[in-house]
Amino acid sequence: MPQDTPNPEQPTSPDAPGLTRRDFLRLAGGVVVLFSLGPEARSAVTSTGTDQSAGLGGWLRIGPDSRVTVFTPTPEVGQGLRTSLAQIAADELSLPMSSIDIIMGDTDRVPAQTPADHGSAVATIGPRLRAAAAQARSIIAELAAARWDVDPEAVQVRDGLAAVADDPERSVAIGELARGRRLVRRPSDMTVLEPSGEHRLVGQSVPRVDGPEIVTGTVPFVGDLRLPDMVYAKLLRPPCLDARLVGVDARAAARQSGVVAVVQQGDFVAVVAERPDLAEKALRLVRASWEEPGRPHTSSLYDDMRRSAKLTDRTRHEGDADAALAAAQYGFSATYRTAFVAHAPIEPHGAVAAQEADRIIVHASTQRPFLHRDAVSRAFDLPPERVRVIAAPVGGAFGGKDEGDVSVAAVRLARAVRRPVMLTYSREEEFTWGYFRPAALIDVQCGANGDGDITAWACDAFNCGPRGADPPYAFPNQRVDSYDCDVPLRQGHWRGDGGPANTFAREVHLDHVASELGHDPVGFRLRHLTADERMARVVRTAAEAYGWREARAPTGLGVGFACAADSGAFVAQIAEVEVSRVTGEVRVRRVLTAHDCGLIINPDGLRNQIEGAVIMGLGFTLREAVRYEQGRILSDTFASYAIPTIRDTPALETMLIPNPDRPARGAGTAAIFPIAAAVTNAVFDATGRRLRELPLSPERVRAGMTADDQ
Amino acid sequence: MTETPELLVISVNGVEHRLRTPGSRSLLSVLRGDLALTGAKYGCGNGECGACTVLIDGQAVRSCITPVSLAHNRSVTTIEGLTAEDGLHPVQQAFLDAQAFQCGYCTPGFIMSAIALLNTNPDPSELEIRDALAGQLCRCGVYPRVIEAVQLAAAKMRG
Ligand code: FES
Ligand code: FES
Repeated sequence: MPQDTPNPEQPTSPDAPGLTRRDFLRLAGGVVVLFSLGPEARSAVTSTGTDQSAGLGGWLRIGPDSRVTVFTPTPEVGQGLRTSLAQIAADELSLPMSSIDIIMGDTDRVPAQTPADHGSAVATIGPRLRAAAAQARSIIAELAAARWDVDPEAVQVRDGLAAVADDPERSVAIGELARGRRLVRRPSDMTVLEPSGEHRLVGQSVPRVDGPEIVTGTVPFVGDLRLPDMVYAKLLRPPCLDARLVGVDARAAARQSGVVAVVQQGDFVAVVAERPDLAEKALRLVRASWEEPGRPHTSSLYDDMRRSAKLTDRTRHEGDADAALAAAQYGFSATYRTAFVAHAPIEPHGAVAAQEADRIIVHASTQRPFLHRDAVSRAFDLPPERVRVIAAPVGGAFGGKDEGDVSVAAVRLARAVRRPVMLTYSREEEFTWGYFRPAALIDVQCGANGDGDITAWACDAFNCGPRGADPPYAFPNQRVDSYDCDVPLRQGHWRGDGGPANTFAREVHLDHVASELGHDPVGFRLRHLTADERMARVVRTAAEAYGWREARAPTGLGVGFACAADSGAFVAQIAEVEVSRVTGEVRVRRVLTAHDCGLIINPDGLRNQIEGAVIMGLGFTLREAVRYEQGRILSDTFASYAIPTIRDTPALETMLIPNPDRPARGAGTAAIFPIAAAVTNAVFDATGRRLRELPLSPERVRAGMTADDQ
Repeated sequence: MTETPELLVISVNGVEHRLRTPGSRSLLSVLRGDLALTGAKYGCGNGECGACTVLIDGQAVRSCITPVSLAHNRSVTTIEGLTAEDGLHPVQQAFLDAQAFQCGYCTPGFIMSAIALLNTNPDPSELEIRDALAGQLCRCGVYPRVIEAVQLAAAKMRG
């Protein structure tokens, strides 16, 4: 029978990986099972600064009220994580969904995050959570068995009760067994139990648990919080990136009614007022002069990238690609380009900060509360445990809300005015003062023989990182390298990082080679997918579902194919387009996606993610590019940075390929990888013209059609 | 540049409010700030995203660019005003049934816009739905589900 932990308030023990005393203190009584992250995620753990509990995936607790609470770091950002985790826990414990609470993204209550991809939180946490739930179930069975002096095997745990079958006398609420106990199991204490394998909720399209809040408009986004005595701030922004403040006169602003303070600390100037619109109005009265940095004359972004390139990642080296290229019968080389892209969530950045006794409490719209906490702790030289960041529900992030700037600014102001401060960005600030998806320049060289076999492949990817660059194809000689570059804009994570750019280059180039050699695009891919049966199956599924007809030359119909794999998810896409020969406008009529990401936790949730990825991907494929000049972002409204609308939405078909024996994998991301290539290849099929730069703006498409030569 | 407050009488979700405030303030700012109705969202502040959509006398307006004086003596409905004691508005229910959201930030605006559409056109074609909602932006890309939700709601409301 399980032993109660004698003194759980003991500091870290070596077998509870880095679990701190503070963490234990926060655990209420009951039955608690800690779980670690999978080895994949753990190896991805870099230093998160001070928090030692990194690598711990979370914990699950059965409370005296029979409710089960799961504590886990990654917040909900609209991907349905809360629902998926509840499905997993409820399934293993044979409980209804309504008995599960999920606490996420609160740095005081959950273990620190790892840098593992957001999209794969279900992948990293899911299996461990399931194992922890199995463990909790067996503890409950043992406690019940001890109470009745029966064999634990005879105890059934179901619907919140532990019971001996056919014995109405021997039935007790699981919370009753947990009551008054302080029983903590650590990962190292556990013999890993096989999860029951029974899937009652996992695999079902369970509706989102937060759906009712969403449709009633009651989700508490950060801008909706109202703390007592709270005031609102607006920051004075420089006229361009990297400008220096040389003088400021804020007297008129400070005199405005409703203005609480004008705060100036070095280059940082902000107006704090009783209402957001008053802060905004007063800010317009601040007179400031700025010194703009001298900007080197730049010939072209892409030339400068090439010039400043530093090799940072040798993603794949097999055989001797360069020698094989030189020796190849046919050679094809081309350069691909993609623009800087904005995240453009509909909810701009925001944070609410308050000082409470000797602690700082921040509510922030972020997927990375621990990065925000560490940023605040660094900025004000506070020990991290004196900073608590609570991730508010996020109104879209896509990798864009990682950095803690907004929280640091809100804390600075809350300390200055000694009242809780809300800081939310305007749309213009959102487009200007965050960071962007890196622009990319990718050189691809390919050698082939007369039979249509690729003999060599070399790819040099500038400024987009290696993600998605490793081809799934069995090319005998290959070299894939990626380089960091100096660029004029701040850049960072973006859904799938460099994956969409690298996939665009590879899949368009492969299509190009296929057509030059007179091969069908699908057949040509399958011919080279000999070492990746899973990818091949997805490619075949898409082609069959679509009714793909073999074509060795452009058909004029406007159909394009592409595929990609990312973090254990495999996806193939077919796009159908219409191209206006007059305007150069590309309209995407239909997109079919075949998708295999292993075990599917929630099919409808997965479909929703895939559909969203396709639509978001159409944005950077057709239109989106950040425009800037001399350190000024020119595309700072939805009119000047046009994201997809409902009018752009094609007919979408999504085929989920069941693969329940493979672990559940990142599902929010892979579908955004191939879409640009599928569309670009479809434009080729429609027009016979090969475009190699995103977005496929009407000007580019028109220019492509009038160019005599490719 | 101080603006003189004026007395405004606005019915919001069936409740009459008397406010003394400058009439040039945006309706969004009054709803969210003065009346603590935070269902309408700020997304852009200049009429380009639809997150702030509410109804004035049944018609969809972008409250971020609507001066509050325009609502004087009129009746404003926000998402908070939809939910009756006995349950969700059919359009809310349809968004739930179609799971037509991801992060949900754009959802109140979509729902209000869809209601305005169905007020005037109880049986819209898919094209009409797309046209009516073309100004509502969703970065998560739930558009196909929105179309489905509006069709579901339309069918249900026609009975
Ligand atoms: S906030 Fe009003 S339209 Fe965007
Ligand atoms: S659901 Fe996220 S913006 Fe629409």
